[in-house]
Amino acid sequence: MSNLLVQDLVKQYSLEGKSFTVLDKLSFSVDSGDFLTILGPSGCGKTTLIRCICSIEEPTSGKILLDGKPISGIGPDRLMVFQDFNQLFPWKTVIENVIYPLKLNKVSGDIKTLTRRAEEFLDLVHLSAFKHAYPNQLSGGMRQRVAIARSLALNPKVLMMDEPFGALDAQTRSILQKELKSLWRKFQTTIIFITHNVQEAILLGSKVMVLSLSPAKIKYYKKNPLPEPRMPETPEFMALWHTLYDQLDTQRY
Amino acid sequence: MKKTALLLLTLLLGLSLFSCGKSVDKNRVVVAQQFGLGYAPVILMQELNLIEKYYPEAQVEWVRLGSGGAIREGMAGGNIDVGSMGVPPYLIAWAKGYDYKIISALCEMPLGLQTYHENVKTLKDIKPGMKIALPSPGSIQHILLSMAAAKELGNPKALDQNIIAMAHPDGVNALINQVEIDGHFTSPPYIFKELEQDNIHQVVNARDAFGGDFTFLVTAATGQLKKRNPELFNAVYKALEEAIIMLNENPEKTAEYVAPVLNLDRETYMKYITWEGVRFSTNPHGLLTFLDFMNEAGYVDRNTENVKDLLWETLDPAWAD
Amino acid sequence: MLKSEIRERRVTVITKVLFIFVLFFFWEYLPVWTGRDKLFPPLSRVLESLWQNLTTGELLQHIKFSLYLIFSGIGLGIILAFFLTAFCMISKTFARIMDVIVSIMHPLPGIALLPVVMLLVGLGAKAIIIIIIHSILWPLIVNSLAGFRAIPKIQLELGRNIGMSEFRLIWAVMIPNAFPYILSGLKIAWARSWRALVSAEMVFGASGVVGGLGWFIYKTRYFMDIESVFAGLISVIIIGMLVDEFLLKTLENKTVKKWGMSA
Repeated sequence: MSNLLVQDLVKQYSLEGKSFTVLDKLSFSVDSGDFLTILGPSGCGKTTLIRCICSIEEPTSGKILLDGKPISGIGPDRLMVFQDFNQLFPWKTVIENVIYPLKLNKVSGDIKTLTRRAEEFLDLVHLSAFKHAYPNQLSGGMRQRVAIARSLALNPKVLMMDEPFGALDAQTRSILQKELKSLWRKFQTTIIFITHNVQEAILLGSKVMVLSLSPAKIKYYKKNPLPEPRMPETPEFMALWHTLYDQLDTQRY
Repeated sequence: MKKTALLLLTLLLGLSLFSCGKSVDKNRVVVAQQFGLGYAPVILMQELNLIEKYYPEAQVEWVRLGSGGAIREGMAGGNIDVGSMGVPPYLIAWAKGYDYKIISALCEMPLGLQTYHENVKTLKDIKPGMKIALPSPGSIQHILLSMAAAKELGNPKALDQNIIAMAHPDGVNALINQVEIDGHFTSPPYIFKELEQDNIHQVVNARDAFGGDFTFLVTAATGQLKKRNPELFNAVYKALEEAIIMLNENPEKTAEYVAPVLNLDRETYMKYITWEGVRFSTNPHGLLTFLDFMNEAGYVDRNTENVKDLLWETLDPAWAD
Repeated sequence: MLKSEIRERRVTVITKVLFIFVLFFFWEYLPVWTGRDKLFPPLSRVLESLWQNLTTGELLQHIKFSLYLIFSGIGLGIILAFFLTAFCMISKTFARIMDVIVSIMHPLPGIALLPVVMLLVGLGAKAIIIIIIHSILWPLIVNSLAGFRAIPKIQLELGRNIGMSEFRLIWAVMIPNAFPYILSGLKIAWARSWRALVSAEMVFGASGVVGGLGWFIYKTRYFMDIESVFAGLISVIIIGMLVDEFLLKTLENKTVKKWGMSA
């Protein structure tokens, strides 16, 4: 059952009169409930790809279909979680940050129901105690959790994550990876997760994609063969790690 | 702690500078100058070096300040010894208890309120929001307006919300061009210029409002000067007296000295100085009437029935009122 | 809070209170000791005059008038600044023109403009309100524009992503994001306009119907009522401080500071 279909996607930028291609005729599909991790060297265009899917940017040509229909501009059916910690409204408390998008999108239910829904999701990311705090009182990891809770509460068809843990320390990162994985299992949300960390890609993804550098082409796109729980120390894990690592165009930058 | 002590010490030194009196040269006298036809005796005194004539060692320093208010403050602060001003401004300072009295009157002049509004014939026709320009609150123009208001409207402060402070020349310009203001209460030579216009007429004649003749400007001197150098003090009076006599007996001759200072040609100067109601005299009149009115209206709260209290011994109280 | 911090804070408070006492002591007695109390009235006489002027209602009337003028001016100024800023955001050409206008007008003190304004609209309340608007318009526009230009792109993308219309984006994302800048613009605007108001009345003797605090000071000066001059000055300081320290600082603490935002 195909959820998201990308067909011949091209994105060109013009810089100082010269146009150059970032995405070169990418075609792939993502099934409903997939957790796709996309690997690629810095600057390869993986962020551009999901920004196109999210309609933050317009593709130069090509099609993006969601449930068989062309996507219709930016909207809450395709949500983005950014790397930047500044993706909450600083003037709203944690719970207000979660409730506000629900109200905005007229998610059914009175304010009490919405509050309960928000509390539920905050509980899932272990932030119930901080619901009345303001974002600036939270650590970076906590803010990313709020952003995840806010997005999941809106029940998007696809959740895009642009290196959301990229700016966190190793320990927090590892905790958040586990939390995200269990949330994904619980809600079966389709997730497209960008990273340049090979280990993260293997740990999280049910499917893994590798993009090449300028222009981005799909070099590798396969189901993750490793069973759960995935342990980085196992030989299978190491083998996959090397395979993916070799696919990354590391010498190019 | 040491730093704080040092800082405080500096501060105290500064304060003591503020408090200690200036030691002044005995022969130095600071005289404030203003421009206007009424100050002609003072101008003459400066141009002809009359103070030096009666006291050759005198070192006369002339200062020019922006307003009568500033002159009064300068005198109160001990920076000016001799200053000329309208009668009410002098009385305000006297009522506040400052140590200065009238050394000589200067002149009587026609003052009045003019407007270009044809339908404004009396003060009753002045509507709220109409602006009457005069040099400053508490000036002789303001008090005369109050007197007229008391007579015509029954309340001396009836027009206080209509007044606007403006220097005479600006007021004349505004009135003639019919901008900014609706009326202008002023004195010579500005009043002459206004009355020469076809479309400007007088609403209040100061003589009527006052109920008779009155002194316009007086020269006041501080007690400090008198104490410091009585001869110099007397020289100032004699200089003024000579200037006033000359203005009365030989106005033609004064034109040479005064007209250029006032920026008037000889002919205009002569016309102005012989205008009806223009009189130069050392004897002040109307002081007590002004003082009574100002007390009644609440502008000051000190009164006297003895005109002597307002005058230095240079003037004979028998000739003053 | 650390112990040393508490101690530091206590010392600061004690120093300030002590200084004020010393200041008041000298204010009360130095004029008398030096025999200059007529020119520089001791504190008690100033307070007495302040009380008298307040109870007779005269000073209160002037204060009311000043506040009426300044809040009308500020209200109109904010509305005007809002539209001009909005036009700048919509049209690049307009923004460029505005840049030039702002750089010409911003450094010009309101009081310097008064003679021209008086020629155009006459004396009185209208002229003063225009001066107040002038004093607050440019700092507000400069700051608001800086604020809007400094909005993190991610906040706009986020707003659109969760389904905001462009119109909602303006007041639900852009204005709150620019608020720290707008607030600091307001602080500058307040200081400038309050000064402009008082000095316009004092320097030019331009009053409205009743006249504001500046006119009160101007008037009492000419009656050599030094105590009332000081009472007027104290009122100017107190109102300036009340608005600055209480209104604007409280607003800042309850918003920008609490949210951890900064301009």
